[in-house]
Amino acid sequence: MSDPTPPLSRAPRSGVSVPDLLVALGVTIVGALLLFGAFAIPFGINAVVGPRVFPLIVGGGTLLLGVILTALTLRGDRAEPSAEEDTDPDAPADLSSPGVILGGFLLGSVLLAPLGFVIGTAVMYFSVAFAFGERRYALMTAISLIVALVTYVVFTRGLGLSLPAGVLKGLL
Amino acid sequence: MDALHSLFAGFGTAMTPLNLLWALIGVTLGTLVGVLPGIGPALTVALLLPVTAKLPAVSAFIMFAGIYYGGMFGGSTTSILLNTPGESSSIITALEGNKMARRGRAAAALATAAIGSFVAGTIGTVLLTFFAPAIADIAVQIPPSAKFALIMLAFVTISATFGGSPLRGLISLFFGLAIGLIGTDSQSGQARFTLGRPELLDGIDFITVVIGLFAIGETLYVASRFRKTQDVIKLEGGATMNRDDWRRSWKPWLRGTALGFPFGAIPAGGAEIPTFLSYTLEKRLSKHPEEFGKGAIEGVAGPEAANNASAAGVLVPLLTLGLPTSATAAILLAAFQQYGLQPGPLLFLTNADLVWGLIASLYIGNVMLLLLNLPLAPIWARLLLIPRPYLYAGILVFSTVGVYSLNNSVFDLFLLALFGVIGYGMRRFDFPVTPAIIGVVLGPTAESFFRTALQQSNGDATIFLRSPLTVFILLIVLLALVVPPVLRARARRAAPTA
Repeated sequence: MSDPTPPLSRAPRSGVSVPDLLVALGVTIVGALLLFGAFAIPFGINAVVGPRVFPLIVGGGTLLLGVILTALTLRGDRAEPSAEEDTDPDAPADLSSPGVILGGFLLGSVLLAPLGFVIGTAVMYFSVAFAFGERRYALMTAISLIVALVTYVVFTRGLGLSLPAGVLKGLL
Repeated sequence: MDALHSLFAGFGTAMTPLNLLWALIGVTLGTLVGVLPGIGPALTVALLLPVTAKLPAVSAFIMFAGIYYGGMFGGSTTSILLNTPGESSSIITALEGNKMARRGRAAAALATAAIGSFVAGTIGTVLLTFFAPAIADIAVQIPPSAKFALIMLAFVTISATFGGSPLRGLISLFFGLAIGLIGTDSQSGQARFTLGRPELLDGIDFITVVIGLFAIGETLYVASRFRKTQDVIKLEGGATMNRDDWRRSWKPWLRGTALGFPFGAIPAGGAEIPTFLSYTLEKRLSKHPEEFGKGAIEGVAGPEAANNASAAGVLVPLLTLGLPTSATAAILLAAFQQYGLQPGPLLFLTNADLVWGLIASLYIGNVMLLLLNLPLAPIWARLLLIPRPYLYAGILVFSTVGVYSLNNSVFDLFLLALFGVIGYGMRRFDFPVTPAIIGVVLGPTAESFFRTALQQSNGDATIFLRSPLTVFILLIVLLALVVPPVLRARARRAAPTA
């Protein structure tokens, strides 16, 4: 890249950040895959502009942007994690908490159909509360079940959505 | 006065007891989500979309409009009492408002924010009332090539002016566009990027994308850097101002409104720029510039008004051209599409009762919000004390209901988790989320205009250079891509310490 654009982030230039580089390479690879996938789409018959043209533009664009981001990252550019209402920007990132939430969410999703909506979402609720540092287990279990149950009743009875009852079928 | 006549008819629609109730539910929900961290108006509308499927369109949109305005009012409470802006347009309010609150002036800061929002919202709605039909009249004649160019303009300004880095904004936009490609092509019936999964033939529902990127992504991200101590300033009594506060606030309200509305109405990247401009302007005009940075009431009044006026302005391109210029507007557009309505110039002809009912409900919603926010401020302040473990767990469960009830499919929940992880990554690596949302919602429309324009010219690409209007808009697109980085580079050279 001979482009003289200065680095875009405000962070000081000190070495290449490996996570940033992985993200930049990821964007590039996704762009390449999109472009590859776009070529696999047939031209379309009787169409001046077939179903392939726009995907080609999107894929090519993503690839190009990915290459630029990779080049900037290699020159020392790095992203600044965003600051949210409840985050502490100076705290070290703890990946185990999001892991717990994600695991609980996937487990709850799998259990949703066989065991029912109430138990599935109670598992999710519990895992998020746990990941955010709550440790009063009896209280968490009770609140998880109450929130899930109230949500189920409000959405099925009040708003007419159909959610799986599962094992509680006879009771609800 | 044609607009006035239509507006009165709109009040007829909005003033029915049931629609007033929906407006009240909307503004209450909107304030609630504005105050609570972790959720915003965009997410709330997305969450409620599956639930409101059974409502008549008019009632649903009256409620959504209430949520939209309510979120703007509620956001200032969090900024002032917690010193943590939920979105970039609240940064200034957090800066000055929180300093005021620390000096024991929380009530006045909340009051000037609420009344300023009311003034700006009402004036903005008046401007919307008279501008929108005029623009709709002109917009009927716009050819597909110019419509495509307009969408390009929205894409570029939203991606390139949001956040610190135009490059990251554009990557976010292209990510959204790619998601929008998945599914069966509407013109040829060809399956695209479905990876052979039948679940993907209908495409990915934008609700799954929005809830994944906003709610799940936010929950994962906050969990990774959770701040356990919350420093909430106590509020005693309602939000009130004394005579001196009024004297110092009313001009900033009006100036903020004048700045905010046009920035909302042109696709220029939302409320961030006008709030910053308003702050700078008030600082320059103030007789007490030394107070700025320490809690000057003008620094809350002006930017809050600018913020709300831009929210009203955003509705002008949304209703007249079908162009969303903020994340919430993009979701409202998708909501229109879900009801089989296409916002744009024809909407004023074909669905006049809906459009004018919506506009009339904005006036009503503003009054409701004022009444809801001044005396009840302490109640909203209490919401900030909800323990975060239970709050975020609740957000996740509601997200699950919203997505699962779309198709009753567990596959959608896996997609939700995937977008949650991507949303986490976007926050961690500083990619703005809004361009992705705009890309998902507007990408298929852009493709359709692109192809229609080329079909009309039999594949001759010079169609995009033949209409002067199209060329003009495409030139602005080019400028919007080139000028900000140049200005940024020059500013950096001029002030190397910045």
